[in-house]
Amino acid sequence: MVVPYVAVIVVLIAALLSSNAVTSFTARDGTLTLEHYRDTLGDDVFPTILKNTVTWTCLSAFGQIFLGLVIALLLNTITAGQSLLRTVIIILPWGTLDIVAGVMWKWMYNDLYGVINDVLQHGGIIDDPIAWLADPGMAMAAVVIANVWKGFVLAAMFFLARLRGIPEYLFEVAEIDGAGTIGRFFHVTLPQLRSVLLTTTLLVLVWTINYFPLIFIMTGGGPANGTETLVTYVYKLSFRFLEYGRAAALSNVLFLIILAVTAIFMVVINREEAE
Amino acid sequence: MTRSRNKRRARTIAYVLLALIATAVAFPIYWMIVTALKTYPEIYRYPITYYPHRITFEHFATIEKMGLFSHFVNSIVVSGGTMVLSLAIGSFPAYAFSRYRFRGRGVLLGSALLFQMFPMAVLLLPIFITLRNIGLLDTHLGLILAYVPFTTPITIVFLRSFFISVPKSLEEAALIDGCTLPQALRRVILPVTLPGICAVGIYTFLFSWSELMYSMSILVSNDVQNLPAFLSVFVGQYQTRWGPLFAGSIVSMAPPLIMFILLQRYFIAGLTSGSVKG
Repeated sequence: MVVPYVAVIVVLIAALLSSNAVTSFTARDGTLTLEHYRDTLGDDVFPTILKNTVTWTCLSAFGQIFLGLVIALLLNTITAGQSLLRTVIIILPWGTLDIVAGVMWKWMYNDLYGVINDVLQHGGIIDDPIAWLADPGMAMAAVVIANVWKGFVLAAMFFLARLRGIPEYLFEVAEIDGAGTIGRFFHVTLPQLRSVLLTTTLLVLVWTINYFPLIFIMTGGGPANGTETLVTYVYKLSFRFLEYGRAAALSNVLFLIILAVTAIFMVVINREEAE
Repeated sequence: MTRSRNKRRARTIAYVLLALIATAVAFPIYWMIVTALKTYPEIYRYPITYYPHRITFEHFATIEKMGLFSHFVNSIVVSGGTMVLSLAIGSFPAYAFSRYRFRGRGVLLGSALLFQMFPMAVLLLPIFITLRNIGLLDTHLGLILAYVPFTTPITIVFLRSFFISVPKSLEEAALIDGCTLPQALRRVILPVTLPGICAVGIYTFLFSWSELMYSMSILVSNDVQNLPAFLSVFVGQYQTRWGPLFAGSIVSMAPPLIMFILLQRYFIAGLTSGSVKG
């Protein structure tokens, strides 16, 4: 049963990728061309989109991994009430449909009736309401915050599973050697988390580069392309502008980028494991 | 003495921080429910109100009139179909990978998981074009077939780790007692791994329940749209109707939340063991 399954999968992948390649190299009149790549990479918005993708991915991944780590460490400290807190903190964002998360945050960011401005104004942090989704920089911050909320769950779960597996005696030995709470964290917990941290970072990075719904729902890539990323632009090219050739070309660029990120991490992970 | 006092203090700080985080994490959901229960004048009242002064269910009635139930059924068809098909396709390779050592097993396992490495966004256009060419665009079957390659790898990874956890001696004993291999699988292995199979099945169910990019690209006509595609129509409108939109969102969130809460133990164990330890 393995060989037929694998054969079908490999053929399917090959067919879909070559279909993409063919689309990206075929001109409207059917001849071979590089114009789709030239148009896409030479496009005025391409540097913006690339920059946005990097910003969106790095900030989101950093936020998710940081928050996930903090939550996992805290949950690992307590005993009573752990499952209730875990249910609220992990299950709620995880169980929320992507589109629901998008509309929910969009409404909270509303400049006139949004709760976020209201809270910030009452707290004395801002004087006038912020037009969150109308300013390119603020819009990027807004979608990243929403994405951290939606996505820290994965990191939190991986870290929590790994933390549970650290043998207790390591902490005891460190304590006998005179390590305080902070010393134990840096000399026992963190080294033990190293490999799972690498794997999680890879998964989160790839997942975030490809994550489409929040941006699509909250800003649609705007304002002024301020939150347009590679995936939202692939979608726009395909289904709004019906530029299949350019969409296929950009898909292939996206694929190569993800392949490169994965390859770099695989080298690092393998080197770690070899040590 | 100091150790236990330190521990207690650390625990207190952890509880306080976790309570704060839990409040912040739950707040968006609370806000959505509150908004769905407000009347329109109250939704657009300034200053804004933090709880509904007058509770109304009119938005739920509105969204129901727009066909929420039939879209709910469409979601069940798509997600159920994806689940059944992924389990049917994935369980055999998963079993083989867990039980037999054969040449090139690593390479084969790697290739079986290929789709998991391919971002869905990259394959959207070729899959869309393929479905259009074979006339399955705008059909439930088309969307199910688009999902299955992405859900089967995770099914194999999960099921393989569940099968590995069942000792091989169990089925060997059944074989010695005169069962054929299919009988042994059905009578001995299936009952033991049933919780795992259910968890994996529900995982794929929930994946297709939530997925937006493919569903709104492939399901265009109103009568076939599932919940994400249906809700996405609201977003494109010039004036978003927040009330019905949130009422529909709440209804569509109920199944995943209930399943996650009931089965979180299996999910967390399966997901982390499957992806971290490989």
